[in-house]
Amino acid sequence: MKAGCSQRKLEVFVFIFNLCFYASCQVNKLQICRLCSGTVPNATEVGHFCFKSAGTIDGRCCLSNYNTTDPEHIIGLDLSNCSLVHVEDLQGASTAVIIDLSHNPIVNISDTTFQGFIDLIYMILPEDIVCPGGNTSWDKVSVKDGNRVCQGQKNICNQTGQLSTNCPENSLCAPYGPGFFECSCADYYHGYKCLRKGEFPALQVFGPLGASTVVISFLLWVTQRRKAKSL
Amino acid sequence: MPPPCCGYLSQYTHHHLVAFLLTFFSYVLLHASRKTFSNVKVSISAQWTPSVQNDSAPAFSPGETWQNNHLFADEKEATLFLGALDSIFLFSYAVGLYLSGVIGDRVNLRYVLCFGLCGSAIVEFVFGTLTEWLRIYNVYLYCVLWVLNGLLQSAVWPCVVAVMGNWFGKTGRGFVFGLWSACASVGNILGAVLASSVLKYGYEYAFLVTSVVQFAGGIVVFFGLLTSPKEVGLSLESDTGLSPVETDTDSHRPLMSDEEDEGELYGRQNQSIQQLDEPPAEAPQAVGFIQACCLPGVLCYSLAYACLKLVNYSFFFWLPFYLSNNYGWKEAEADRLSVWYDVGGIIGGTVQGLISDFMGKRAPVLALSLAVAMGSLVGYSHSPNDQLINAVLLATTGFFIGGPSNMISSAISADLGRQEALRGSQEALATVTGIVDGTGSIGAAAGQYLVSLIESGLGWMWVFYFFIVMTGGSIVFIFPLLFSELRAMWRDRRALRRQL
Repeated sequence: MKAGCSQRKLEVFVFIFNLCFYASCQVNKLQICRLCSGTVPNATEVGHFCFKSAGTIDGRCCLSNYNTTDPEHIIGLDLSNCSLVHVEDLQGASTAVIIDLSHNPIVNISDTTFQGFIDLIYMILPEDIVCPGGNTSWDKVSVKDGNRVCQGQKNICNQTGQLSTNCPENSLCAPYGPGFFECSCADYYHGYKCLRKGEFPALQVFGPLGASTVVISFLLWVTQRRKAKSL
Repeated sequence: MPPPCCGYLSQYTHHHLVAFLLTFFSYVLLHASRKTFSNVKVSISAQWTPSVQNDSAPAFSPGETWQNNHLFADEKEATLFLGALDSIFLFSYAVGLYLSGVIGDRVNLRYVLCFGLCGSAIVEFVFGTLTEWLRIYNVYLYCVLWVLNGLLQSAVWPCVVAVMGNWFGKTGRGFVFGLWSACASVGNILGAVLASSVLKYGYEYAFLVTSVVQFAGGIVVFFGLLTSPKEVGLSLESDTGLSPVETDTDSHRPLMSDEEDEGELYGRQNQSIQQLDEPPAEAPQAVGFIQACCLPGVLCYSLAYACLKLVNYSFFFWLPFYLSNNYGWKEAEADRLSVWYDVGGIIGGTVQGLISDFMGKRAPVLALSLAVAMGSLVGYSHSPNDQLINAVLLATTGFFIGGPSNMISSAISADLGRQEALRGSQEALATVTGIVDGTGSIGAAAGQYLVSLIESGLGWMWVFYFFIVMTGGSIVFIFPLLFSELRAMWRDRRALRRQL
């Protein structure tokens, strides 16, 4: 009973948390698309891509038209020529397939900036910036017109869907952005460090236990304590 | 003439059987929940720590699954804390034993026993289950709860021994108590089975199941336990203190079991039932703590038990670790092998109890067994890397160390609490049991710390030397009793010869 109660509380808590988180995401996304003035130019890679995949251009973003659950699903981000020195929080654009950061005086990009960018397969960076996750995380790294182009994100897990040596026991390795992987619990496992398996059969355990306690208590009272005298 | 064993058993009613089983299972459940704690240690320390990674590799994501719990930086620190919790528990248990024995002799034993069982079940539930459900991981909370658990659990042992002492007189005490003191070992096995069968659902369910079962045990005890034969109008077993069986005409009676005798026995019982219809005699007064300490034999046996429980509990806590550490055997194999020590202890306690019943003396049996134990410890420390030989040696060591240990903590405690010096006018059983077991627990707690210290500093061989010295120490403490008992035996024999 108590387990159910606490779990329900937890669910409510998670729901509220999600609401807040989702709202902040919305704001973030719009901020990313307005990080710099103007819209995505047609001639750039992102512009071509957006045209091919029939997306809508909103500021510096290309939004997908096919995603009904999330109307602001970013599939392309073009921040070229934006005078960016530091690239900090791009998490709102984690669904992007293509990102262009060329022609910016960027000093360096933190490794974790692109953590969770699972769909990213094409990236344009200033020449002196290495591809996120290093060259080993990409199928092809080239320099074109003074820009570094990172193509085709490699799957860091040996084989998706199998228990990988990268991940601890009871968890599966899944790609989680360039150079990153995620360890999610395997089937039936859940909880912290995926240590728990299945649901505890509370009724099957406590039902018979409670019943036998009552029966034994009653039997013993009748045979033993009924005629007992207090000393 | 029927075989003597039937006469031996005919003195017992179904009330005796129920009292035996209820006290037995009370302690089984208690020890099962103790074993649960030592069996879920790995899971708990995993829950309290973030995942370990090589320095070069990034931390596992998502963080809420792998990195969020930071009670301890790594599993080593968590293990240290769990070891500290063990020591805290043993110390508060020892302190609690001194107190609860005194309380047990003054308040109804059934209430104290029930309170101890249910109270510690609730504390274990809060410790293992509630903190996990609410995600409260706090070192101080854990410590406070475990101190409380030690105090509550300590209420149980003096009470169950006192109830057993009330029901089973000196005649068959050594054997019955030897059999009965298997409860700790049975509890270990039950705890291991319960914990391993629900551990996959999460360690909190291991705590939940054992604490709920323990609570149910407390309820059954409340409704079913008769603390003394007097409660149903049976007379107390004829208790003549520490005099030997041969010269004790009263305790000869059940052993002979002639029909006349049985008739007389039943007549006596009926008589006592009639007597109890009259207003009962004034309840006996409980002895004070100091007074109980000064009873003959209490101090000597307490100190001897401190040395012996140190060795015995060190085997309980460290044996699987030693086996997997020294021989490189797998943890599951080591766990399975260490059961043989318990088995040896059960058999040893029963057989030695039976021998001491027939001799009418306990100290000579103890001293002899302990002397052999020193030899078997030397033998065990030189055991070859072979599981079969190791198991045999282990069972032998258990027979000679666990046996005396079980005997002192149960049969001898009951002897001491019902001895002649009290003349049956005072309640001392629980108090004396508390003193003996409490002193023993202090020894065990100190041993926990000393063994790890000696092991890390000097190696396992010195741990065994330490055990041998401690066993020798317990012989030294028993020596005065041995001397006086042997002298009494000698005197009796001479008197008997003179009569002839």
